[in-house]
Amino acid sequence: MNSIVIVEHISKTLGDIRVIDDVSLDVKKGEFLAIQGPSGSGKTTLLALLAGLEKVDTGSISVGEQDLTSMSEDQLALFRRSNVGFVFQSFNLIPTLNVVENIALPLFPTSVPATEIFDRATKAAIAVGLTERLKHYPNQLSGGEQQRVAIARSLINNPQVIFADEPTGNLDTKTGEKIIELLRQLNREKNQTFVLVTHDDHIAGESDRIIKIVDGKIGE
Amino acid sequence: MLNYAIKELLHRCRSYLLNVIVIGLVTAMVITLSCLGVAYKEAARLPFKDIQGTIIVQKNGNVPEIVSGVLLSCSLAPIHQDAVTAISKIDGAQDISSALSLWVFDADHFKRVVGVNWQDNYGKSLSSRVIEGAAPVTDQEVVVDKTYAGNNSLRVGSKVAVAGSQFSVSGIIGMAGNEIVAGDVYLNLAVAQDMAYLSKNLQAVEKVDKTDVNLIFINAGQQNLALVTQKIKQNLNDQDTNAGQTPLGQTIGNYNIYTPDTFEEQISTVLKLSDKLTWVISLILFIGACLIIARNTLRMVLERRKEFGVLKSVGYTGRDIQKLIGMETTLQVLTGFVVGLLLTGIAVFILSKTTVSIAIPWELSAYPHFLLANPEDANVVQTHFLPIRFDLLPVLATFLGVVIVGLVTAFLTTWQINKLKPMEILKYE
Repeated sequence: MNSIVIVEHISKTLGDIRVIDDVSLDVKKGEFLAIQGPSGSGKTTLLALLAGLEKVDTGSISVGEQDLTSMSEDQLALFRRSNVGFVFQSFNLIPTLNVVENIALPLFPTSVPATEIFDRATKAAIAVGLTERLKHYPNQLSGGEQQRVAIARSLINNPQVIFADEPTGNLDTKTGEKIIELLRQLNREKNQTFVLVTHDDHIAGESDRIIKIVDGKIGE
Repeated sequence: MLNYAIKELLHRCRSYLLNVIVIGLVTAMVITLSCLGVAYKEAARLPFKDIQGTIIVQKNGNVPEIVSGVLLSCSLAPIHQDAVTAISKIDGAQDISSALSLWVFDADHFKRVVGVNWQDNYGKSLSSRVIEGAAPVTDQEVVVDKTYAGNNSLRVGSKVAVAGSQFSVSGIIGMAGNEIVAGDVYLNLAVAQDMAYLSKNLQAVEKVDKTDVNLIFINAGQQNLALVTQKIKQNLNDQDTNAGQTPLGQTIGNYNIYTPDTFEEQISTVLKLSDKLTWVISLILFIGACLIIARNTLRMVLERRKEFGVLKSVGYTGRDIQKLIGMETTLQVLTGFVVGLLLTGIAVFILSKTTVSIAIPWELSAYPHFLLANPEDANVVQTHFLPIRFDLLPVLATFLGVVIVGLVTAFLTTWQINKLKPMEILKYE
């Protein structure tokens, strides 16, 4: 398998704390990778660096042959729009937009015609099992449904990689299992690459590979 | 993206309502203030419509010792033809009319007599107000005011005596009685000039020539008004400094020049504002609006931090967010402006139902107050509805102002948002 994410000796300091310390790793195309570690170990920061939401202090990250380290804020934004999807623990949906509009959010500033945007968003919503909820607003959805919307939103731009930060952290066990099942299904059916952060051993057990991070360093 | 902006505004309508109300109120206040300023200027011109001019020239004279026979009204001094000629040579002074206003103390009763050149603008204006009969054609004919005619049972064809001469009434003129230079009897200028010339009581205090007048009406238009007025003052006011004063405190021999500005200064109301004050108040209102809207908008940015973090995380660039904020701000500004126009429409309608009272200076509508039981009755006041209307210029200027407020708001908002780091917001929310 080809590497889609290549990380070489990256470090990141926030305040006085070295949150990421000389980390190197790679992610293969179609891989379902879990990053595990205790609270404060730096796993969320690592995910943010990989997704281009934060910039590294030293080292380099390339995603799909694009070097993130030399990109400006706006270039990083455009990179995120075209290449990555992000699923948050707390869903982070826009309360004023309905399900289809929330899924379509990344495409609003693009030149894609409005009809195509909503067509793609509707298909993505159906793909994650929200056929009956297309016009509902976030406050009308359960936690599991909101996370499905977030997953569909991360898929809308056909990203190379989807990063998920504790995607089941705000869900009950049963709903969390369904979400992981959905991510796994997308991984298998579409060969979609996933990198997810979790502290749950059961979810990590579902992944192709587990990376453990302790005090900002990759452990074995 | 527009749909998103609209939904956002509707969702947070309570927060944005303050911005819309502020813009609406500022728009309404600025446009209304500006329209009021224009309206008072217009109101000050209304008394001049009767004389078809924008400048009136009179000369202060001496009080006659014997009040009988034919006198110049209000102890005015005669204006000689050389002064009329001098005025006619001033650039911008057009349509010069002249008249001779007399007080005639006849044995039967007192009459206000106005000598008119029926061919000049003032004369034509009077002719157009003849409601019965026609303007005089011969020197033996006069027109009389309808009130005077009613009080003295005069009709077209009746005879009326003025200064010992008999005249035939050729027409009835429909005057309201409070116009500039209101008269009881209007006759040919040359006839009035003869009366003045032959008056011993008048000649005893003023040297009156056969071609003298005591009223000059000049049409200088609005643009040339100040310049022409200044030139008239320079050309005419070279009086003897030891000439003394009239009972009203005016310098004898000095020319009085009346323009719409004279009346504008008289219209005393708290709502009357100078152009400069209007601009200052408008500026203060706009700055106040900017501060209120900026404060409200920055508070909104704090409330929406997480949302902007999400937008950045899904790939919105600074320009994309600027566009979104620009749309939201434009919608607020346009809504506020439309609200402001509606409020202005209501304010203009209400103000158009109010009246302004303009006191006509006694010399311009003189009646001998000593003949009245109550001397105050000699004061003439014109009351007009405030001629206020929607003017395009202040609307456009205010629109420009609110657009600037919108741009400042959008700039401040985007500046604040671009400082936000998406992961910092999303990690700790």
